[in-house]
Amino acid sequence: MTGLTESLRTAKSWLFSHKLRAVILALVLVFTAPWPARAQLLSPCCALLVAGLSSIQSALTKVVGGGLNQILGVDKALQQFQQAVVWPQSLINQARNLVGVLQGNYNQIQNLMHIPVNSATLPISQQLEQVLLSRNPNQIGQTSGAYTALYGPVPPPTAASPQVLNMVDMTDAAALAAMKRAIEIDALADLELQAASQLNQSIQAAAPGSAPIVEAQADAWLIRANAYTQSATADLMRLRSIDLANASADIKMGATNTTSLRQALANLMQHQ
Amino acid sequence: MQVVEYAVFFGAFTWFVVTVQNRRRLLAVTLTGVMVVTLVGAPQPAQAQIGLLQAIQAVLNVINGVIHTALNGINTVRTAMNNLQQTVVWPQQLINQARAQVTRMIGLYRNLMSNIFHIRLNSAPLPNPQALEAVIRDHQVNNFPSLTSTFASTYGAIPVTTAANPGDRAMSDMDDALALDNLKTLKAGDQATDIELQSADAIENSASQAAPGSTPFLTATAITSGIHAQALTQKLLAAELRQEAARIAHRNTLRKENATNTTTLRGVLVNLLQHQ
Repeated sequence: MTGLTESLRTAKSWLFSHKLRAVILALVLVFTAPWPARAQLLSPCCALLVAGLSSIQSALTKVVGGGLNQILGVDKALQQFQQAVVWPQSLINQARNLVGVLQGNYNQIQNLMHIPVNSATLPISQQLEQVLLSRNPNQIGQTSGAYTALYGPVPPPTAASPQVLNMVDMTDAAALAAMKRAIEIDALADLELQAASQLNQSIQAAAPGSAPIVEAQADAWLIRANAYTQSATADLMRLRSIDLANASADIKMGATNTTSLRQALANLMQHQ
Repeated sequence: MQVVEYAVFFGAFTWFVVTVQNRRRLLAVTLTGVMVVTLVGAPQPAQAQIGLLQAIQAVLNVINGVIHTALNGINTVRTAMNNLQQTVVWPQQLINQARAQVTRMIGLYRNLMSNIFHIRLNSAPLPNPQALEAVIRDHQVNNFPSLTSTFASTYGAIPVTTAANPGDRAMSDMDDALALDNLKTLKAGDQATDIELQSADAIENSASQAAPGSTPFLTATAITSGIHAQALTQKLLAAELRQEAARIAHRNTLRKENATNTTTLRGVLVNLLQHQ
């Protein structure tokens, strides 16, 4: 303890006598000692880090934030345009409602087409009429029997000339085929009406993006319906062609018969 | 480790400062000591500062380079898409123009065509045909009995059993039945046509206010209307087929009867000539 006191006293006296050296040592110690990183703000490393982070923040704000804001602006404009102009929900709902209203119209048409129109009063004609208006393809097989019962069979070979028999047979065939086609077309039309109603219900439940798919299917059905209409029109034309051919055959046979009759009369006159 | 080195060097420096004899030497020792001790005591991670700078610069380069370029590219593409949609695909002006055209065509054609379509065609001057004509053109399906009675008033009833042979009666009944069937079908068809026209008007009205996104519903339902119209046309064609078929079947039956009658007559004439 005494030694320590003595040493301190010696140091003190040395410091008083060597003030300059003491100051130098103190300054060197203060400025060069590797102090622990107490004050970060004063550290050149931290200042550099702060400056760097500020630059990054500035760059992120200007470059990334600015760029993203521009994109957001464009996207918002696009979204607003699409919602207001291209896909407005109110108009989409309005269109869906219209589809529902039209479904009511279609149901009315379907009901109108199913109103019974049978009018025959006699059993034999009632039977044929029932088959013809049945809209049931399974009844096509009964058409020939009901037809023959009403319009009679083709005469036997001894009852008419082959020409007449051919004409009669062909006419019956054309009439029967047309009647069968009428049953077919009625049945097909019923199925088309059913399908159209189903498609319309699908449209009501569709989204704007899926409605064109239903539309494409409806287009296919329309083409099919057109084909059936053309087929029915073709049968009608066939029927009228046969009718025209019959009229022509009547004239031809009339001419032949007249010539034969004239010849027979001339022979008769010669014999008298 | 750095602190130990610093303590060693600082001790040596202190020793020199304490023991140096004159001020010149003290200055030299001070300067040398300051330099050495500074080097020893100076913060070692000077290299790390350079690394940090490089890292910050690298991040800034990425932000200003790749990210900036990418964002600019995205912005350019999205702006172009926006412009494309607004000016080429769905230009508001052309959408409004199309709507206006629909409205204009409604004004131009709808009433004109409706008026033409609803011109009264009734032409019969006598009471019975007039009544029949009124019924067959009234687009109603709830007065079929009136149709049957006015038809009978105009065209007469089926002959009674004693007035005609069964074949002729049946054929006449069938002809009348098919004519009546078709007239009834046509009345239903007329009403269905009215409904179709209402549907067409409703679709056209909606088209005048539609947006591109709501139009697919209208086009799809218009096509289903087309299918209904085709089905209706087919029903009418089927009725026409039945009627035409019955007409030529009737004439064919007359031909069959003629053939039979001719054969019978020929037989009678042959018998007659043989008896002479």
